[in-house]
Amino acid sequence: MTARLSEQATGQARLAPAEHARTRRSPRRWFDFNQTLKGSQRLLLGSLGWLGFFLLWQITSQMELAPDRLYPGPAAVFGSLWELFAEKNFLSDVLSSVTRIVLSFAIAVLIALPIGLLMGSFARVDGVLNPLLGAWRYLPAPAFIPLLLMWLGTGDTQKITLLLMGVVFFLVIMLADVTRQTPKVLIETAKTLGGGRRTTLWTVVFRHSLPGYVDTCRQMLAVSWTYLVIAEIVAATDGIGAMMMRAKRFVHVDDIMAGIVTIGVLGLLFDVLFRLLYRTCFPYLGRGHS
Amino acid sequence: MPYISSPASKAALKAGLSVTGVSKEFQSRGRTVQALDDITLALPAGKVGVLLGPSGCGKSTLLRMVAGLEQPSAGNICLNDRMVDQPGRDRGMVFQDYTSFPWLSVRENVAYGLEINRDRDALNEGTVDHFIRAVGLEKFTDAYPHQLSGGMRQRVAIARTLANYPELLLMDEPFGALDPETRWQMQDLLLDVVRKERTTVLVVSHDIEEALYLGDTVFFLSRHPGRLKEIIDTGFKAALPSGDREAFLQSDDYRRLELHIRRLMRDEGRNAA
Ligand SMILES: Nc1ncnc2c1ncn2[C@@H]1O[C@H](COP(=O)(O)OP(=O)(O)O)[C@@H](O)[C@H]1O
Ligand SMILES: [Mg+2]
Repeated sequence: MTARLSEQATGQARLAPAEHARTRRSPRRWFDFNQTLKGSQRLLLGSLGWLGFFLLWQITSQMELAPDRLYPGPAAVFGSLWELFAEKNFLSDVLSSVTRIVLSFAIAVLIALPIGLLMGSFARVDGVLNPLLGAWRYLPAPAFIPLLLMWLGTGDTQKITLLLMGVVFFLVIMLADVTRQTPKVLIETAKTLGGGRRTTLWTVVFRHSLPGYVDTCRQMLAVSWTYLVIAEIVAATDGIGAMMMRAKRFVHVDDIMAGIVTIGVLGLLFDVLFRLLYRTCFPYLGRGHS
Repeated sequence: MPYISSPASKAALKAGLSVTGVSKEFQSRGRTVQALDDITLALPAGKVGVLLGPSGCGKSTLLRMVAGLEQPSAGNICLNDRMVDQPGRDRGMVFQDYTSFPWLSVRENVAYGLEINRDRDALNEGTVDHFIRAVGLEKFTDAYPHQLSGGMRQRVAIARTLANYPELLLMDEPFGALDPETRWQMQDLLLDVVRKERTTVLVVSHDIEEALYLGDTVFFLSRHPGRLKEIIDTGFKAALPSGDREAFLQSDDYRRLELHIRRLMRDEGRNAA
């Protein structure tokens, strides 16, 4: 009797999950393919990752693996970051770094955009420039530092030129790639509506590529920061990199780390800015794109 | 509205399309593919012509040459006694895959042709709204294409092309990817709009029913290489109540022609095998 009862019970238990799954709304699996997260969930999970990172940093810094002076914890680093801004006029260093980034990147885009647009649109332009610029792209910009120092000295011109050289070749090739992805049928639609070459170039090819351009710029700006640090470490009196080199001389590791944090935050800020621009300028793309 | 009568009076001047001895060869990987061989056909102004044939017989290629997107290897194409050698506003094209400009709203898409041609008169006359209404999209004027269904996007493309007042409307299997119900609606809508505007139309189709329903003349092409095999007149439709698909499908003439074309298609299949 008891055996039969328990059999019934397990039989029911076997049925239950299947029925449950049918009515259940939220996904029951933690890991499944093609899952999408709500904004709040993403925020929570993202914070979790950062929390873990800071925890690990704090714990390891207290484990006496290295002297405090060489491996300060997060609290010490954020403390000296505050000190830098409040007492050591770090803001002007940050501003001159940001100015270098923005100026050099603006010049790079101004040069790369027309060339990329024409290369992506017209096979003959591509035929001439692609082999040339495609090769230059692989020359590491820092290799030109000695030359630039001799030609342009140690001032801002030298730094901005280095930053420019670091991104402009990649930018041209990538913007041309974006341009090339314009569907042929959109171009032909414009032609059969009476659109000439110039009209089609601007109202279809350029307009279709615009979101891709913004996204490419967002990615290349991150690369720009790499060259900024190199430029400012080599020879500079101001800027985030210069501050870090000064701090190295006096073994102020917390200041160096504060500099790294600053660069990270600034890079993130620009990234967010570009994403915001993307979302507000291209609402027609719908949700399928990020 | 005074302006609706204007395209009709423009249409009176139209002489139509003539294709004379047109051949087309493609070079692909060193080999020469003959897509079309010596096509000669004429389509009078205000009529609907249909290019029908098995897939690969060169229907799209012929249409693209009429549009000026492709150059014939031999022969010539004239629209209203002007030689065709490049794309132009006089030959509007509706492509197979509902091409609308994703960054433009429905209204801006329909207005695009008039905008780039700086046709202020037509824009001020309300042409854009007229054609949005004609294709039944007046509730979606500010929507973006990604918010519309395939059928609606194809209507945007048709309205955009018609609003530009082409002398010839070209369509490449415009309703091929739509579900049957929507396809029938779109066919009726097309006939309705085209009759009102008296546009000359050349449509590509691979569907026999669609070809006979839409066309005043059906040009049947055969394959390898594409040749004009038969010209089928659908004059029998004049005696039927217009817009009545059922009466059309049940008429003896339709059944006879359908069977005839079906046999042509079958022969094509045999030759290919
Ligand atoms: N750009 C091209 N290059 C090479 N061959 C082509 C090209 N376009 C079409 N063809 C060939 O021409 C023939 C006709 O093609 P198409 O006009 O697309 O046929 P349909 O539209 O009737 O299906 C096919 O054999 C196709 O492979
Ligand atoms: Mg085709």
